[in-house]
Amino acid sequence: MPIHVLADQVVAQIAAGEVIERPSSVIKELVENALDAGASNIRISVDGGGRRMMRVSDDGYGITTSEVELAFARHATSKLQTADDLSHIQTLGFRGEALASIASVSHVTVTTRHRDEASGTQMRLEGGRIDTRRSVGAPAGTVITVENLFYNTPARFKFLKAENTEKRQIAIVVNRYAIAYPHVRFFLEQDEREVFRSSGSGELADVLVAALGLDTFRDMLEISGQDEAGQISVYGYTSAPHMHRADRSRIMLFVNGRWVQDTSLSYAVVQAYHTFLMTGRYPSAVLMISLPPQEVDVNVHPTKAEVRFQNPNAIFSVIQRAVRRTIIDLAQTPSLHTPGRASGDGQWTRPSDDSRRAMQMGMDLRLESPGQFPHQRPRHDYENTERDSTAIPYGPTGPERPRTLPMLRVIGQVGASYIVTEGPAGMYLIDQHAAHERILYEQFMADYAKQGTIAQYTLSTQTIELPAPEAHLIEENLDALQAVGFGLESFGTNTFLIRSVPAMLSDHSPVEVIGGIINELEIGKEPGQATIEEKIIKRVCRHAAVKAGTVLSHDEMQSIIRQLERCDSPHTCPHGRPTMLHMSGDQLAREFGRK
Amino acid sequence: MRVSVRQENLAKGLSIVGKAVENRPTLPVLSNILLSTEDARLKLAAMDMSLGMSITCWIGAKVDQPGAITLPSRTLADLVNNLSPERVDLLLDKATQTINVRCGATVSNIKGIDASEFPLIPENTQGDVVVSGQVLKEMISQTVFAAAKEDNRPILTGVYTEFNGNMMTMAAADGYRLAVRTTEIEQRFDKKVFLVIPARALAEVARIISDEDEEVSITLPGERDLVLFHMKNTNVSSQLLEGKFPDFGAIIPRSYNTSSVVYTSDLLRACKRAEIFARDAAGSAQLIVKPPKGPGEPGEVVLVGKSSERGDNTGMIDASVEGEPLETSFNVKYLIDALNVISDERVVLQSSGSANPGVLRPENRDDFVYIVMPMATQR
Repeated sequence: MPIHVLADQVVAQIAAGEVIERPSSVIKELVENALDAGASNIRISVDGGGRRMMRVSDDGYGITTSEVELAFARHATSKLQTADDLSHIQTLGFRGEALASIASVSHVTVTTRHRDEASGTQMRLEGGRIDTRRSVGAPAGTVITVENLFYNTPARFKFLKAENTEKRQIAIVVNRYAIAYPHVRFFLEQDEREVFRSSGSGELADVLVAALGLDTFRDMLEISGQDEAGQISVYGYTSAPHMHRADRSRIMLFVNGRWVQDTSLSYAVVQAYHTFLMTGRYPSAVLMISLPPQEVDVNVHPTKAEVRFQNPNAIFSVIQRAVRRTIIDLAQTPSLHTPGRASGDGQWTRPSDDSRRAMQMGMDLRLESPGQFPHQRPRHDYENTERDSTAIPYGPTGPERPRTLPMLRVIGQVGASYIVTEGPAGMYLIDQHAAHERILYEQFMADYAKQGTIAQYTLSTQTIELPAPEAHLIEENLDALQAVGFGLESFGTNTFLIRSVPAMLSDHSPVEVIGGIINELEIGKEPGQATIEEKIIKRVCRHAAVKAGTVLSHDEMQSIIRQLERCDSPHTCPHGRPTMLHMSGDQLAREFGRK
Repeated sequence: MRVSVRQENLAKGLSIVGKAVENRPTLPVLSNILLSTEDARLKLAAMDMSLGMSITCWIGAKVDQPGAITLPSRTLADLVNNLSPERVDLLLDKATQTINVRCGATVSNIKGIDASEFPLIPENTQGDVVVSGQVLKEMISQTVFAAAKEDNRPILTGVYTEFNGNMMTMAAADGYRLAVRTTEIEQRFDKKVFLVIPARALAEVARIISDEDEEVSITLPGERDLVLFHMKNTNVSSQLLEGKFPDFGAIIPRSYNTSSVVYTSDLLRACKRAEIFARDAAGSAQLIVKPPKGPGEPGEVVLVGKSSERGDNTGMIDASVEGEPLETSFNVKYLIDALNVISDERVVLQSSGSANPGVLRPENRDDFVYIVMPMATQR
């Protein structure tokens, strides 16, 4: 095949592939243009998750009549003159590619009037070629409508995710810009329904309440910090240590008003929580980092999601110090007395002076072993086992399921968390929470397979309000949630009414469980993974299982062990952690130097 | 302080106020009981700061020398319970804050903490409302069990109490059921007054009200967020819960498709039998209502508890049924809780279908209503 120069249209489409990946990238580019044009009001309307129509209207400067055509040419921009300018770039965009790229893969209509001109221009482009152009009356500012995205690049179109996924992405993008620009009023509607609105009051706190939800924001702490030279400063909010999640996605970093991904800086935030959070749990944070433009190189990545710093260590330490200081200050304030929660403490009080001095002499009875025969063991009053707070169901007694573990004898409980048992091959230590989780999980899955999960209807007095992206996620999975027993009903913008909950969970806060489920849904959606229902069930079981720190009666322990003995895979909990440790008789003998 | 009391009176008083002693208090003095002389009486008081509840009790005494002291609750109660039913002399040694307890031939010394360290106990004020003791006791027992036990929605761990016109209403809900009880009172409230009282404190009030208590007067919250119940010789004060109690009026169904009248004891026993098996299914038992096949024949209510592993139970109860056949499921434990506190001979069970709430109320009475949400098998 002979070598030839590619046609402009093809070049544009290839370039578009870098910048315009999905509908949310269009929104990102258009919102950035609006912000660079000094807009104070930005209205975003999306239909069909961006496939049908996306429109971004702003009240910025607008484009002069003479420049409208040029704006859609490749490498045409008003934001940059010389290569030197790149080193102190103040605007969000500068590459001059966005409009050209968008126009090359969609139908674009632009209506704009420059502030200083009397009349505006409307222009329609199809696949990058100008279709019509006329002079119109319009308010100052720019309205860009993008329709039929990817109509001429079927490969891209095919790779678009489900409509709800794209909706969620768009909501995330708009949230990010609203946070970065608190003085700009954002309005997002999807399919003619208001999804998000920020007040434009200039207060970061106001936007965060709108973007993250009041419940989340209430638990966030304000931070601020600076380096010695006063060049780098950090401002923002970070979560209190008791609020954490399973992934880092809620650590949002903004450098000079630009959202960036930076592993090292988010690590700085996580690092600041060292010893305050369990491993594998991460805080939420929104941090505004400002530094002189020449200190940062934004021309690294086509969508500018990554940046390079001249002095990354300095920024790292400013962030780490600012967050750490706030967390430590908080940790030092004395905590209020919380009403008697079940906890293991108090069980281990030191014997008082008196009891140590006075000794009870033992009578040497020479028992063979304490309680070798059933009648020697203390009788348990079965009437008193109606402790429904821990709700450990009576286990299967018949032999219908094969035994997967040897018979275990319960000896006792350690630290209100582990059950000590004896089996034919030595000693087994069992994690009560993990074991119960496994039992509930297998029961629930069995019920689920038999089409019989039990839901308890609620008095319908509780609603749950979520930030827009999470609300989409819930909407996407309403059916799966329903199948497991969560009856949720849309109840206004991003709010759901809880109609029913899985019966297993009726003693727990449904809001908390749903929060956990969202968390789990957000992280992994890799193919070949467990189904969504399975994931939800796992989360439900984790909440319903007896907690570590709960003191169990002998019968309750017995019941857990009996049921665990008949689980299909008793050795791990549904999340993969071990349920038991085994110490063989040989090992014990070795440890004691008998072998 | 030098006081003489009867052992029976002291033991009884200590058991009443002992319920307001915290298990693991933050302040050491809170595991103590305050003893202080007041005219010719001995005042006993305890306070549970975590619940915001205090109980005060007065017992008759011969006061030779006034004074006050706090003593460890367990030690004092254990000792007094084991004394013989005679006169008990208490003598305080101010210097060592030790009390000398003499009863018959036994002498004990108990170390105490200065009474000035004890938090202030609400004053004995004049009550605002007077309610019959037995009625209040019943009202509390008919609502308090439905309050939430877990504190993930703190407001639901309380009982909503309202005074409006000459009606008093108590209501409790835990998200799955609701119990509402009303009664007429003598006072008239031109403006609605409502408060949410922690269920734990009300349960204590109900426990303390004895057959002698003809009337209980209630002091409504004034400057402090406190409600005070005055029984004969005993006061219970409690902090109120803050927050908005859900509007339960909207939850009570106004109409129904099926209504059946059954004997309370029949239904209770059937529920208890079904519960044995329903335990494995999160308490879910099936309730089937069959209207009479023809005129003159009785209707039937059937209760089924099933465990896939252990077996099942089916109970049939005669009932007079009006309306359509019904098949629904309830958590039997919730039914048992309510049936336990209904003393009337017969109850009415109403519902509009398997996705709608069930309504339980005593026959021919409209001052108590219990709403229970159904359970469903999904998919």
